[in-house]
Amino acid sequence: MADLRFFEIYRNPEYLWLLFQGALVSGILTISGGLFGFLAALLLAAFRHYRIPVLMQLATAWVEFIRNTPLIVQMFFIAFGLPLLFGYQWPFWGHALLALSVNFSAYFAEILRAGLASIDTGQGEAADALGIPKWLSFIKVSLPQAVAAMYPSLNSQFIFLFLTTGVISEIGVTDLTWAGVFIDSRSFRSFEVFFTLTVIYVFMSLMF
Amino acid sequence: MKDLFAEVLGKPFGIVLFQLLDATQFTIYLSLIAFIGGGAIAMMITAARVVPGRFLSGLSTAYTWLFQSVPLLMLLFLLGLGVPHLFSLRVDPWSAAGLALTLYTSAYLAEVWCGAIFAVPGSQHEGGKALGLTLFQIMLLIILPQAVRLAVAPTIGFMVQIIKGTSLAYIIGFHDLMTVGRRWANSPVPGTQPFVIYPLMAIIYFSLCFPLSVWSRRLEKRLGSASAKSGGKAAA
Repeated sequence: MADLRFFEIYRNPEYLWLLFQGALVSGILTISGGLFGFLAALLLAAFRHYRIPVLMQLATAWVEFIRNTPLIVQMFFIAFGLPLLFGYQWPFWGHALLALSVNFSAYFAEILRAGLASIDTGQGEAADALGIPKWLSFIKVSLPQAVAAMYPSLNSQFIFLFLTTGVISEIGVTDLTWAGVFIDSRSFRSFEVFFTLTVIYVFMSLMF
Repeated sequence: MKDLFAEVLGKPFGIVLFQLLDATQFTIYLSLIAFIGGGAIAMMITAARVVPGRFLSGLSTAYTWLFQSVPLLMLLFLLGLGVPHLFSLRVDPWSAAGLALTLYTSAYLAEVWCGAIFAVPGSQHEGGKALGLTLFQIMLLIILPQAVRLAVAPTIGFMVQIIKGTSLAYIIGFHDLMTVGRRWANSPVPGTQPFVIYPLMAIIYFSLCFPLSVWSRRLEKRLGSASAKSGGKAAA
């Protein structure tokens, strides 16, 4: 029957080091992808909230397209399609970071839009009456309230997206999933390896 | 069919498009398996949450938490590689991918459905009690009709997540749109470069998911939604 040999992973310092590095890469790429995605989402949400012609339609199309296609297809296009089309070559993590930022931006933009819509219109009008320029009132008045109102949704969306980032291992980024697949190919202890990985992912998502 | 595509659209492109569309059926089948299987389990989990008794509701909460926290990719690896290696079994990709997506779906649907049931005001429950209805009658006649209205929109919305989730099943050897697309994108045939194939695949996934998104949003406007209560996570 089944024999579990977790110790084959735990007592090998090379494997432990790979897992540690992988967790670090996963964490850093997700957080930076989240930050870039959030900045892009601010722009997208502002375009849609203030109904800026053309840009608003483009932002809506972007958000809908990204949200209705799988991350892995977007990532393969960014990692293999774009470089071939425009003749550039980045390190693997660069493609992964771009793909994650693109993906995060659409989900965050949708949440921010709901947050902006929930703010009382009197807030913007009051800022107008005080002669505050529109961009400043967006940053100083609307945005803090929208983010505060939507923080729980942003947080749970971020964790949900973190759990999907394992796909970046498919383009060669040495993240946590990559470390697991590598150790599995060396040790053939698939169950133990992926169980360990799952536990690490769950713990990391609890930290966010 | 294949010849028709090749004739109308030209030699490599017509065949590629036909193969992609042909493989899309497996993406749809897998999504349906996950939705039906996941829905059946989610019903039991939801029932366990609402019946009196701490043990069952604790168990149901734990189940929902567990399978919402485990990445889908890890479920696929565990069921497609881990379990077969551990027990020296042969598990075909259909069962492994179907089971992984079913477990994934069940947790999120259970979350949505429990949220919808708890979003029905408690006074409805008390009103039923005052009329002398049994718990079963209160559930069936009062709570569920209201909860279903709240749950429909996010449930349809979650189908988008399932379809997108099936794109990962190729990792354990499941043959679907993703497998065929990747094979073409990696092939040296001119006209099937990655920047042609992946947008094409994105369009196919989009045309499966977008109508569901629109439908879900329309229903949400008409029927309302419990997503405010169950968090934006599942509805997103």
